[in-house]
Amino acid sequence: MKRWITRGVATRGVLLAVLVLAVALPLLAQAPGPDYGEFNFLGLDRRGAVWIAAQLHLLFAAFVLGVPMFAVVIEAIGMFGGDEKYDKLAKEFTRLLLVAYSATAIWGAILVFFLSTLYPRFWAYLTAIFAPSMWVYAGLFFLESFTLYLYYYGWDAWKKGAAKKAHWCLGIMLNVWGTIVMFIANGWLTYMMSPPEGLTADTAPQTVQLWSAINNATWMPINIHRLLANVVFGGAIVGAYAAYRFLTSKTDEERAHYDWMGYTGNLIAIGALIVLPFAGYWLGREIYEFSQQMGITMMGGFMSWLWIIQAFLIGILFLAGNYYLWIGMGRIPGAERFQPYIKWMLLVLVLGVIVWATPNTMIADRDEIAAMGGIRHPFLQVLGVMSAKNTAVNLMILTTFLSFLMYRRANKDPVVPWARAGTMLQGAAFALCAVIVVFYGVYGYFVTAIVRIGFSVYQVLAVLATILFVIGIDMAMLRGARSRGEIRWGRMPDRSQYALLILAVTFTWLMGLMGFARSGIRQHWHVYEVIRDTSEQAFTPALGPAATIISICVLIFFGLVGLIFWLGGLAERSVYQEAEAKVKAGQEGRAALGDPMPAPSLGDVD
Amino acid sequence: MTNLKILFTVVATLAVFTFVANVIPQVQSAVPREIVLNADMPPEELAAIGEEIYAGAGGCTACHGLGTRAPDLLGVVGGVCATRVPGQSCKDYLWESLVNPTAYIVEGFDPIMIDQSIVSSQAELWTLVAFLQSQGGEITVNADDFAAALAADDAAASAPPPVAVTDLSQVDAVALITAQGCLACHALGGEGGMVAPPFEELRGQDPAFVLEGIVDPMATINEEYSTFAGTMPTIFGDLMSPVELDVLVDFFVGGAGGGAEAPGDAAEVPPDSVGGSR
Repeated sequence: MKRWITRGVATRGVLLAVLVLAVALPLLAQAPGPDYGEFNFLGLDRRGAVWIAAQLHLLFAAFVLGVPMFAVVIEAIGMFGGDEKYDKLAKEFTRLLLVAYSATAIWGAILVFFLSTLYPRFWAYLTAIFAPSMWVYAGLFFLESFTLYLYYYGWDAWKKGAAKKAHWCLGIMLNVWGTIVMFIANGWLTYMMSPPEGLTADTAPQTVQLWSAINNATWMPINIHRLLANVVFGGAIVGAYAAYRFLTSKTDEERAHYDWMGYTGNLIAIGALIVLPFAGYWLGREIYEFSQQMGITMMGGFMSWLWIIQAFLIGILFLAGNYYLWIGMGRIPGAERFQPYIKWMLLVLVLGVIVWATPNTMIADRDEIAAMGGIRHPFLQVLGVMSAKNTAVNLMILTTFLSFLMYRRANKDPVVPWARAGTMLQGAAFALCAVIVVFYGVYGYFVTAIVRIGFSVYQVLAVLATILFVIGIDMAMLRGARSRGEIRWGRMPDRSQYALLILAVTFTWLMGLMGFARSGIRQHWHVYEVIRDTSEQAFTPALGPAATIISICVLIFFGLVGLIFWLGGLAERSVYQEAEAKVKAGQEGRAALGDPMPAPSLGDVD
Repeated sequence: MTNLKILFTVVATLAVFTFVANVIPQVQSAVPREIVLNADMPPEELAAIGEEIYAGAGGCTACHGLGTRAPDLLGVVGGVCATRVPGQSCKDYLWESLVNPTAYIVEGFDPIMIDQSIVSSQAELWTLVAFLQSQGGEITVNADDFAAALAADDAAASAPPPVAVTDLSQVDAVALITAQGCLACHALGGEGGMVAPPFEELRGQDPAFVLEGIVDPMATINEEYSTFAGTMPTIFGDLMSPVELDVLVDFFVGGAGGGAEAPGDAAEVPPDSVGGSR
């Protein structure tokens, strides 16, 4: 273990030196150099190189920032609830961080190299403003590394009593360092999107105040949006890891464990996804407040079709997430009583996706306009507006919550005397919520935009209140509930695991797409309306070429993640085989001695 | 085999996403060419830049040259500009035509042109004057004119920005429409231009659509007015504050802000009418 730590710290030391060098070089350079460096590798230009490095750095970073957030929560559940299986799950989540952390640092170093050599002048500009924060970033990065190593490698050593609580505090500190690191980096990138007022191309970067540069209009909305998105992403990748391990498992015990892990990962991802749009709305509003032009470019300009693709992807997420839950009900005794409802829920989801993916306006030529009877298609002008879309997405969220509730209730029979009344109350809450959502959706067609925007808040609040109210009743109602049988973890058809994989790929691709949207709305500016991009790649590509780059990034990411999973599997498998041999030997020994004690389970092996 | 299936799942999912993103309409955001102006430019260079503005960002050709909306200027105007108003030089006449276009209306045409100083900087306006003079006449725009214009532009750029209006009640929609020169092309209550749809046609429209039309006029083009597509400047999103835009949109669609003064009647609006060549 010590050797691993030493090697890891050495690697990070080198990477830190790279960062320090990259920050220091432009500051030391006196003579003005070229604006842009040359790059051409297999047809990839300088922008493509930076794009891929930044995207991969961000994907790994999102993973290493998202996983500790729920690892520490799951550890707390295990610690305060006294159930050791949660502790083991939290440790397994954390184990995935180690290699991913190195990958984050490596891609970060590549990104810094690309920026400082391919965009030297712009990089010098950024370092002139942000250098102090870059030093802090490097220091925190180092601190985060050490905390992670202590957290993971100290897991078994600090397992009981006060030491366990101190260990848990390490997990919290890991999150604190990681969050500050992310906030600092977000300051750099949001400065490029929404620089403080009054800056011009002639403003000397040294005169820009650091805090005003960091605390810009979109900084905090991006921080919150990314915090939540990291949890979604971390959950999805953990789900994919569990799916991979499930599919390659050799024993029922392994399958059961990874089935449970996959379910937990998916629950975290979908649960956090439900609140993510609210952070997105806030970010969107701040973008509009900063610049109407930028807001229109994002929502109604050349990027308008991006939101149709987003709707298509989120539709896949909802469908795959629900499909996984519905299949999962097959392994729960008593779930068959809910089967008849699934087709109706599927219908709601499919209709919801269709409405959400309906474009508002189409780019049409004269003949097409004539055929449509106007520039707005009769269907599109009804279904492609926010009233219809908000209604659809809220009903989809409500349906997904209903799937989860059925899953949760599947093997339980409440024994409290008010169970029937409670269930009816839950049903009434669902019905009332659906009526509120549809009412405001329809009413929205008859009011002005300012009023209509307010309606979307009522719709969202109705859904959130229903979720909280129904889950509150459910928790009280199922206290001491009679079980219809244990969940048969591991008894899942393989196709359920492929649904988890598709979920992870879709989440990852969606992150790439949204990253393109966030970065692309700057258009031909390095720093919006301050520093112009004068390179030959200053134009913003259309969605097709952008999608190709995003897919390349996702493919590389999953290739590397697959390698990490495979390596993890090698180490884990040897542990399982060793444990299996021990169990077998124990059983044989006890059988020979006539010992009635139950054999240890593989689940006890870490 | 399992690994291959997993690989196939990942690759197939990515292929579907990439395919879908490639079959939808592809719109690329091009980089607008930056024009660098300085006081040392020779007249021919000024005229060349003026021609670019005339045919491009200025949107002049949307009306001039059609023979119906505005006089055809090419090859002619430099020769007649000094004869339009007695005692006014060609240079002064062309400058006034740009910044106060209704001061002199050529017989047979309507006052539909907006004050170009809303759209262009003073230096850009002088390049237009130089170009127009070159059409049949001699360029008399000189370094002094140009240096003064550049200084004025610099002063305007460094002036403190106007205090942002945050109170809805402080904004008068009709005054705003007049101040922004909208009536040069659009009509309101029967007054104004006919290059773009009358504002009454916006009554009952989706406010988001109307807002898009103001900020990004080329986002949707009304077929009826497609001849004039590109005429409307794309600067109104920056010229007006969010509150002003909200009031304006609300006024156009007939909402609370417009109140009883909102134009037209919903019943008069054809269902497929739109913002037009805004």
